[in-house]
Amino acid sequence: MKLIKSIVRPNKVDEVKDALEKLGISGMTVTEVRGHGKQKGHTAIYRGKEYNVSLLPKMQVEVVVADSAADDAIKAIVQAARTGEIGDGRVFVLPVEQTYRIRTGERDAL
Amino acid sequence: MSDAGTGSVDRHNATGLPAQLLEEARRELCDDIVLGHGGRAALARYSERFDALLRQILAGATRIEQPFAVVAIGGYGRKQLCLHSDIDLLVLFGGRLGQPEEGLLRTLLHPLWDLGLVVGHQVREIDEFARLEVDNPEFLMALVDARPVAGDLALYRRFEAAFHHAGTHAHVVGALNTLIDNRYALFNSTLYQLEPDVKEAPGALRDLTAMRWIAALTDPSLLRRGPEDLARLDEAEDFLLRVRSILHLETRRNSNTLSHPLQEKAADILGYPGAFPQQRVERLMSDYFRHARIVTRALGWIRKTAPTPVGTNLGQTPDGICFIDTRQAAVQPATWLAAFQAAIDARCDVSDPALAIMRQHAERFRVEDFFPTPAHVAALMRFLRPGAGLYARLSEMHDCGVLGRMFPPFQAITYRVVRDFFHKYTVDEHTLLTIKNLERLATRSSPDRERFSSLLQDLQAPEILVLALLLHDVGKWRDEDHALESVRMAREMFERLGLAQDVRAAVEFLIANHLAMSQVAFRRDTEDPEIVRTFAALVGVEERLRMLCLMTLADVEAVSLETLTPWRAELLWRLFVDTYNHLTLGYGDELIEPNLAASTDLLANRPADLSESEIAHFLAGLPRRYLQLFDGEAIYRHVRLARDINPDEVHLWLEEKGSAWELTVVTLDKPFLFSNISGVLSSFGMDILRGHAMTNPNGLVLDVFQFTDQDRFLALNANARDQIFQVLEEVVSGRATVHARLTGREDSLFHRRPPRVKPVVHCDNQASRRYTILDIIADDALGLLYRISRVISQNGCEIDLVLIATEGHRAIDVFHITKAGAKLSEGDTLELSANLQRMLEGDHEAH
Repeated sequence: MKLIKSIVRPNKVDEVKDALEKLGISGMTVTEVRGHGKQKGHTAIYRGKEYNVSLLPKMQVEVVVADSAADDAIKAIVQAARTGEIGDGRVFVLPVEQTYRIRTGERDAL
Repeated sequence: MSDAGTGSVDRHNATGLPAQLLEEARRELCDDIVLGHGGRAALARYSERFDALLRQILAGATRIEQPFAVVAIGGYGRKQLCLHSDIDLLVLFGGRLGQPEEGLLRTLLHPLWDLGLVVGHQVREIDEFARLEVDNPEFLMALVDARPVAGDLALYRRFEAAFHHAGTHAHVVGALNTLIDNRYALFNSTLYQLEPDVKEAPGALRDLTAMRWIAALTDPSLLRRGPEDLARLDEAEDFLLRVRSILHLETRRNSNTLSHPLQEKAADILGYPGAFPQQRVERLMSDYFRHARIVTRALGWIRKTAPTPVGTNLGQTPDGICFIDTRQAAVQPATWLAAFQAAIDARCDVSDPALAIMRQHAERFRVEDFFPTPAHVAALMRFLRPGAGLYARLSEMHDCGVLGRMFPPFQAITYRVVRDFFHKYTVDEHTLLTIKNLERLATRSSPDRERFSSLLQDLQAPEILVLALLLHDVGKWRDEDHALESVRMAREMFERLGLAQDVRAAVEFLIANHLAMSQVAFRRDTEDPEIVRTFAALVGVEERLRMLCLMTLADVEAVSLETLTPWRAELLWRLFVDTYNHLTLGYGDELIEPNLAASTDLLANRPADLSESEIAHFLAGLPRRYLQLFDGEAIYRHVRLARDINPDEVHLWLEEKGSAWELTVVTLDKPFLFSNISGVLSSFGMDILRGHAMTNPNGLVLDVFQFTDQDRFLALNANARDQIFQVLEEVVSGRATVHARLTGREDSLFHRRPPRVKPVVHCDNQASRRYTILDIIADDALGLLYRISRVISQNGCEIDLVLIATEGHRAIDVFHITKAGAKLSEGDTLELSANLQRMLEGDHEAH
């Protein structure tokens, strides 16, 4: 299993969700996050004074999928979240060792 | 005996009728006194005799042009004039005092002085009562007993209207309480004096007067409700006055101490039984102390219980704001809002009994009953200004059923439940919480909300925002399109209120678009300039952007405790800044095009004297923002002002707008024009608050300045307008220089105290395709705009567009400038910035 953790533009999160749902992936965790990558924020000027917005608001979408489904999911996310401009975000893929259901304590088959 | 009493009359000078009248009046009073009857009735008779005497004297006076009134005040006003009391008079004039008025005063006062009377006279022009004489509390108290004796009754009524309002009443009661404490201290705060002063001592006549004053100024029913029966207080007063009369008669002067020898005399005259003088005196003094105790007890209770006057029929008690006369309040719904306003002003609650009255009667009244006049609507708008206590008061109003009667649309969402995943409260409470959030921004500055707080401070009319919040969700009584439905319902109510057109337009815009900013900020890619441009086009001007941003913040935060995350606040702020910059920096690139698609309505509704081509010619090439800044009426006026304008001419329009003035200047562009015009305004002491300057491609200049007239030059001088216009014409045509006019004011202009904010000069060559943009933030000061624009012109630059704003003590001015028709080079920019910075930091060499 893979944990796919993607950081996307806030306005792209609905499209990412739709694309994943089309692949049958409906369970996901969406978090409001702030950070910066290469984009490093930009300097905004308000009334003649500069103020630095180094941490940009982004959305983090996390899904756990079977190894076999990972590539399709990654493709779907990238396609849905892309604008072609700096600041489109990142997708991280992490291996998942084990998962448990809290309600039953049952361990999921990997 | 009676002869002894009249001893003070100077028989040599007092001849004729007044002397005779006084003689008779005194004889009559003395006859009463020796019989032990010199109490209330006898003194009232004597006072009326004195009224007749004054009228007699005035009958012989030369007539004067203006109305006047002679008013009895103090003890004489109360009709308790004792044999040797001072005669307290107020002589009131309707206008300014001149020779004829002084003549009248002589005619009145000289005979009184000749009769040997001590006259305490106060002379006032009626207008002087517009301001409270806080340094003269005794006079203010004497006025509580004012009674017209002679002269013009209408003038007297004007005095009453000016004097009797809550502010004066509260002040007089406050001053009176201090005086009572000071007076008690002189007597060691005890009424049990062996030789009491029957006027000043605790429990004596002054206490009775004080008690009546407090009741009259706060709640007249207090006298009935007190611990002592009214008849017993009257009895005490009569007793004290009878004793005082005896003292005056016996001592032949205004002496009020009941000394041991005089106690024997008084006991005899008042007929106390007893074989020995000591027995008679003891009975007298025992009566005295009994009366004095009743008086001190009653006064103490009234002082403790009296509400502080806070408005017409309104008082403040420890329980909160109460109605003084509850029956009157029940039938006067137009006074209810004042109760809530008073609670906000006094930072307290509205008392439960007052809320109960409103709850009981609210159902009977309609919007028009609550706000019957434009003054009531203005009071409503004042009430809606965000500040401490607004949410609590609105909640009280809602709770007692008043809110839904005052704002009928609000009734539709009372207890309304809308089921969705995020709202946590009923629609009515959600609505009130939005206002609570705004109130928090206005009153408490937390670091994470500071930037939004400053937006709220910058709003010119924050009450518009509150009104919009109050009605933004009323359309939720039905399930779809609630914003549109809310606008419809609000519009209906505004019609009934007769709300000003510009206020209506702003509120309706906010309600209709209350979801727009969150949709763009949270769901759209705000890094896309096109998205920002479209949103900027929707809001049009900065003031609406500020309001919509705050509305969005307050609305999102009121959905549930968790909805407004720092993440969302950041997104909202970024959209605000990008849009603000687009509006203030980029607007010069968006011009009204000749095809006039944006101004179809303007052409269709034009007045008969304006042709389509004339309007089209005027508009072409002005920034598109112009159409959002001004309504049709103003635009048509501008077109007329631009008609037949020649070089060196100025066409002007000046009108009063609320507490400020607005000057519109249309002329043709030339160097130093903007600094000359702003300099002329400064030379008249005008403080420029807001404004716009625009230039069209044909060199037509339209400047609109809003300013305050701090020296009240326009209000006080009949020809002020002509003077300003004349100087503007002379300066613009070059026949006079503004610098010469400002020399007199230069000290105050240039030698100022150190700046409160460090001046900021920011030059931007990117934001606009056509202009270099100068953003300047500095301490607001008279003449600032003149000095800035002068430096710009001295650097050889042309000023094409200007936005002027004042927020608190800061002036925020944005200039769109060019040099020789193009943006400034980097070198020019640096030089200009340095010169401006130097000037703003107070280096006067820059001039």
